[in-house]
Amino acid sequence: MNRRGRIVLGSLLVALVVGLALALGVREGLAVAFGLALISSTAWLGPTTARIVGAVFGAAIAFGVTRAAEGALPGVLVAVAFAFVAFKWLPVRVLRRIAFLVPSLVLLIFTTTILMYRAPGSPFAQEKAATPDVEAALRARYGVPKSAISFFEIYMRRLVVEGTLGPAIKVRGRTVEQLLAPALPVSLSLGLLALVIAAALGLLLGMRAGLKPNSFSDHASMGLATIGISLPSFVIGAAMMIVFALKLGWLPVAGWSGYRHIVMPAVTLALPYAAYIARLARSGTIEVMQQDFIRTARAKGLSERVIVLRHALPGAILPVVSFLGPAAAGIMTGSFVIETLFDVPGVGQWFVKGAINRDYSVVLGTAILYAALVTFFNLLVDLAYAWLDPRVRGQL
Amino acid sequence: MQTKKCERPTKKNGVDSRIAASWGVAPDGERITFRFRPQRVFYEGTTRDRHGLGLLAAEPSPEGEGGYSRASRDDPGMDRTLLGILTAFAVALLTVGLTFSRTVDAPADFRFVNETELQTLDPHVMTGHPEARIAEAVFEGLTRYDAKTHHPAPGVAASWVVAPDGKRITFHLRPNAYWTNGRRVIAADFVYSWKRLLDPALGSEYAYIIFPVRYAEALSTYDGHATALRTTIAPRALALAHDHANGMDAPSWQRFLAANDVNDALSPALGNDADLRDLLARRAGTVTGAELRRFAAAIGPAADRLRKSAAEARAHFGVDAGVFAPDDDTFVVDLKAPTPYFLDITSFNPTFPVPKELTEDPRHHDDWFLPENIISNGPYRLKRWLVNDHIRLERNELYWGKSEVHNRTVDAFPIENETTSLNLYLAGEVDWLPAQHYPSDLVDELRQRPDFYRHAGLIVYFYRFNTTRPPFNDKRVREALNLAVDRQVIVDDVLRLGQIPASTIVPPGLAGYEPPVSSIHLDVQKARSLLAEAGFPGGKGFPDSGILYNTNEAHKKIAEVVADQLNRNLGIKVNAYNQEWQSFLATCRNLDFDIARGSWVGDYPDPNTFLDMWVTNGGNNDTGFSSASYDRLIRAAADVGSFLDAPESVLADLDDAGPVREAMVRVAQASNGPDRLRALAALRMRLFREAESILVNDEFPVMPIYFYVLGGLANPNLRGFYPMLQFEDGTTAPNLQDIHPLRDIWVDRSGGAPR
Repeated sequence: MNRRGRIVLGSLLVALVVGLALALGVREGLAVAFGLALISSTAWLGPTTARIVGAVFGAAIAFGVTRAAEGALPGVLVAVAFAFVAFKWLPVRVLRRIAFLVPSLVLLIFTTTILMYRAPGSPFAQEKAATPDVEAALRARYGVPKSAISFFEIYMRRLVVEGTLGPAIKVRGRTVEQLLAPALPVSLSLGLLALVIAAALGLLLGMRAGLKPNSFSDHASMGLATIGISLPSFVIGAAMMIVFALKLGWLPVAGWSGYRHIVMPAVTLALPYAAYIARLARSGTIEVMQQDFIRTARAKGLSERVIVLRHALPGAILPVVSFLGPAAAGIMTGSFVIETLFDVPGVGQWFVKGAINRDYSVVLGTAILYAALVTFFNLLVDLAYAWLDPRVRGQL
Repeated sequence: MQTKKCERPTKKNGVDSRIAASWGVAPDGERITFRFRPQRVFYEGTTRDRHGLGLLAAEPSPEGEGGYSRASRDDPGMDRTLLGILTAFAVALLTVGLTFSRTVDAPADFRFVNETELQTLDPHVMTGHPEARIAEAVFEGLTRYDAKTHHPAPGVAASWVVAPDGKRITFHLRPNAYWTNGRRVIAADFVYSWKRLLDPALGSEYAYIIFPVRYAEALSTYDGHATALRTTIAPRALALAHDHANGMDAPSWQRFLAANDVNDALSPALGNDADLRDLLARRAGTVTGAELRRFAAAIGPAADRLRKSAAEARAHFGVDAGVFAPDDDTFVVDLKAPTPYFLDITSFNPTFPVPKELTEDPRHHDDWFLPENIISNGPYRLKRWLVNDHIRLERNELYWGKSEVHNRTVDAFPIENETTSLNLYLAGEVDWLPAQHYPSDLVDELRQRPDFYRHAGLIVYFYRFNTTRPPFNDKRVREALNLAVDRQVIVDDVLRLGQIPASTIVPPGLAGYEPPVSSIHLDVQKARSLLAEAGFPGGKGFPDSGILYNTNEAHKKIAEVVADQLNRNLGIKVNAYNQEWQSFLATCRNLDFDIARGSWVGDYPDPNTFLDMWVTNGGNNDTGFSSASYDRLIRAAADVGSFLDAPESVLADLDDAGPVREAMVRVAQASNGPDRLRALAALRMRLFREAESILVNDEFPVMPIYFYVLGGLANPNLRGFYPMLQFEDGTTAPNLQDIHPLRDIWVDRSGGAPR
């Protein structure tokens, strides 16, 4: 890096620190800046260091998750096994992601805590005012002190030492993991199904459109896609409810107690994603069909079917694959609108309710869950890319 | 080991110049072995292949090796990409099938929409309506609400006796009331439970509901107050007296009191110290240095008095006074003063018994009420509680009155979405849609349905004025605004369910209470002249003001109508603006508004629940309103006996003390026993009426808008369900508190005549 670059970068960093200090307070701002520096530094870890750090962090995560589910001893065993396997066999790229994940989560918890405390209100605020004594008793009982920093300390201690995400305040008697554990499979199965529907529908429509750009079928499917993206899901969902549940009586209105209950929410959830995927697949197909290797394939006399399925498909779905990573994380953590509309007991509601209720532990729990899922799916996307695109493969 | 650098393709021609992937040197150093990577060509950054060099590599190779060979065969079989996609789909669908497997119950005998997910099922901690519905089904107090009349009906107590002076109630417990673990429910359970309710460490927001019981308030709050006085208020008061040796102005004095919660902590220890009381209520003029010093000096002794009272309460409450259990079958409640509504409170969930064996178990301190742990004593058992999914109740076969419980099972669905709730009802998947839980835009159509029911509710909707902020600190301005709003328009055009325009705070229909004649009605002429008197003729010079409401479509419509009316009728500029719920609460608490929306649900059928909130610095006052005479009237009504001992300070405030004196004479004339109790109750109501009159005829700290009418949908075959209460003498009254005990509701599926 030349001198000018260093000056620019340096002043940007100073501006960042000052900005953070102004926005969050001096101590908090410095802490966030330090955390950011720490996280960025994981990108420069050498391969061996990345291997060690990734294996250790991964083992710690494995220990935490297993201990919460099965107890301390299985936790230790799983952690040791994971560390060994990870160090020995996992690609550096994966371990680098894990080394990046752990400090990011700490910073995420810290920043979220600071921001939550900035919002007016508290988990104990009600229309009928609680007396100061009552509020103090509740704050002590649920470990929610009045300062953000002490909450962060309590939360981290609970997370690391006791291995719990803390008690939920607006749904008492349960910890956050007890709230999320039954909700996660619901959101996962709903999200997976929606993802399959979205991918299948989107790829079919999009590739069809992309193969014959500006034809009638192109305009028709892109028109449909535009409608799918612009119509809010509560409209589509409510319309489906009226037609299929109330008028025809084929499907139940709402609830979650049988296979028939999954159909409408999954389709509603899938439609906007399907529309988006269709547009991506269309542009990917158009791009790839103009490539020289397609021309070569044609010149060889291959049938159109083989050209499309074997030669064009991998290139055409690349933009879709990179979209699917974050989309999968989003779709599987549920959707508030669809869950409330169809009364689905999934995770999505907790993102919104946690924030509305200022239920700090729930907010943090959902944030951690989301961050973990995003990291995981981005990793999957990287692997899928390597599989689909030879240009990327060598870098793994 | 290969390094990162080795892997990186060079830019030149897009061909990797470092072809050897790794190498090894033989032990004798004479031979070096290079291992080559499979032939591979890299692209430059773009997908365009200008040099034609990428042709080989762009071909996705089946085995990841240089293989152009397989692609050259015109293989009609499926390619691995397509195969991969289909496999991924299949795996995903399989996973869905595996995770989505759950036992499916038969539908319950009675199913209803329970609005929201429960915050808790601890009857001492819960605050909401949906929680109370389930708590009343799972637990049972000394008494319970009779479904038809809401009169107290025998619950755990088979009978009770009220002493002639109205200050002691003796409950006789039934011998066949059991916990679900088979243990008998005895009087000691209630002693324990009420002490638990009052324990400040539990943090119950409804502990105050049994403060009419002797020693209850002292037990619950005095220690906390004493600590606050000693540790924070005393040093700050000393500092204040020191800094303002020459006195200070009353508004700053009031700010000091409010910032330190002085009134809450100090007022129970004031006793008859009228000087200090007046000092605390001083809002105008100045506070002298001597007064400040006297105030600072009074705090220590006050804290000591509170500690002593708390110790006394601990020694007696549950032992021989307040509440106590002479034996397993008898539970005695001592009241500070005759409290006519107390038998309504013993049907209310904060007074329910809880199982000591669980709540005192440290392992179940926080989760004792979950289905896997709970021990309860009500008509139903908690069978299952899936968060955001449903609650399944099952008839409790140990319940003493199980023959009166028709349902074997009940399902409660926590559905917040109103459209979904309505659709579930219309599809016949639930039998009851409770009050106001349908899309309000559909009210006109729903009203036409025969299964739609509605009744008045014990809820008032109002606007708070910030009486600490000009120009709303001028009561003429507050009156003018009150007179300039046409509530009938709001009720007829916005709400459309026959709501009642409000000119008072206490909703109509409370037995024994006649609201004062109110000066609040639409009178634009008078409103304009009042505004002119206050210095804003024709609205000139009136600052731009805001009506704050929490984000909600209905609140928005009302706020806009009111703002528009004020604008047109008075020529003042008022804007409606909204805040999200938590911000809204914080803004109201901090008195950072001009006009703010509010509503109040009566906790029990008595005017006190609507009036005691407006006392000086009351926790839910949120207007800054303070009136010494109002405070005196509310205190007098809370303890009519003490008022009768020294009535003159209260009567002196009244413009016309005649009716109160008459009521006092009737008390004096009444013979001991029920007659006297009735006369005392009438006097108490009269005092409330005088207090409310201050709000709606003199001070106007709020703008009442309307009283609620609650509407819902109920299966026509529902039995034991009474939107209108039906009394033995054939009269009816609205189900004001919207209480429908699940114990008595059931669906007649035999196809009998509609309700």
